[in-house]
Amino acid sequence: MRPQNSDMGLIVKTMARATIPLIGIFGAYVIVHGHITPGGGFQGGATIAGAGVLFLVAFGLSEAKEKINKNFYSVLEGIGGLVFLTAGMLGLGVVFFYNVLWHKGPVFNGEAGTLLSAGYLPIMNLAVGLKVYTGLVSALFAIALFRRWKK
Amino acid sequence: MKTTFGALSLIFILGVLLVVANPNYGLKFGLGEGNWEEYRYTDQYYIEHGVEEVGGTNIVTDIVFDYRGYDTLGEATVLFTSIAGAVALLRKWRGEE
Repeated sequence: MRPQNSDMGLIVKTMARATIPLIGIFGAYVIVHGHITPGGGFQGGATIAGAGVLFLVAFGLSEAKEKINKNFYSVLEGIGGLVFLTAGMLGLGVVFFYNVLWHKGPVFNGEAGTLLSAGYLPIMNLAVGLKVYTGLVSALFAIALFRRWKK
Repeated sequence: MKTTFGALSLIFILGVLLVVANPNYGLKFGLGEGNWEEYRYTDQYYIEHGVEEVGGTNIVTDIVFDYRGYDTLGEATVLFTSIAGAVALLRKWRGEE
């Protein structure tokens, strides 16, 4: 039996090195511009999670174990959910999920269509993007890490 | 022969669906027949008031995060719960080291 060698060959590794930053940048663009262009937190987070999955597939589990801290990702996912909930509670004086930042807030109330507009939408997009990215990566990492089938 | 028959039947089913779902003479779903805008006024409402009320020019984000915020909250909860369940089921259990 050949030794356990979970990473891919040189070509795949080189291509992954070249494309992972591009995928990450595109996902970050989709998240940040979620309130003005098509896309949003969920879609951008899933895109960045694709980069993480590509890293896991191309470089193997042993390398990914050094780079990806699972507990840190779990904490980040919780933080994303809490930030989403907090942004929804900002306008609790009127009603839950009232966009108070857009109507009379100090920040994020620029002209509609600019980057710093739309009240809590950018905050929520960032939170949901972080949550989806870390959640999907940690789920796939868990599936790769804890094999429950016999060798 | 079998493949050809399958493809032909797929095309036939698609044609039947096109005839059935045609709004002019096919089946009519729901209340609104001719005056569907009277019953589905929310579509036009979001398009007209979304930018001024929520601020995002992406109307889908306006609906998802503001008008239907509870739905997104539940969706985030579902994601969290599913990942927690997956990790809890897949990790090493106490008996097996």
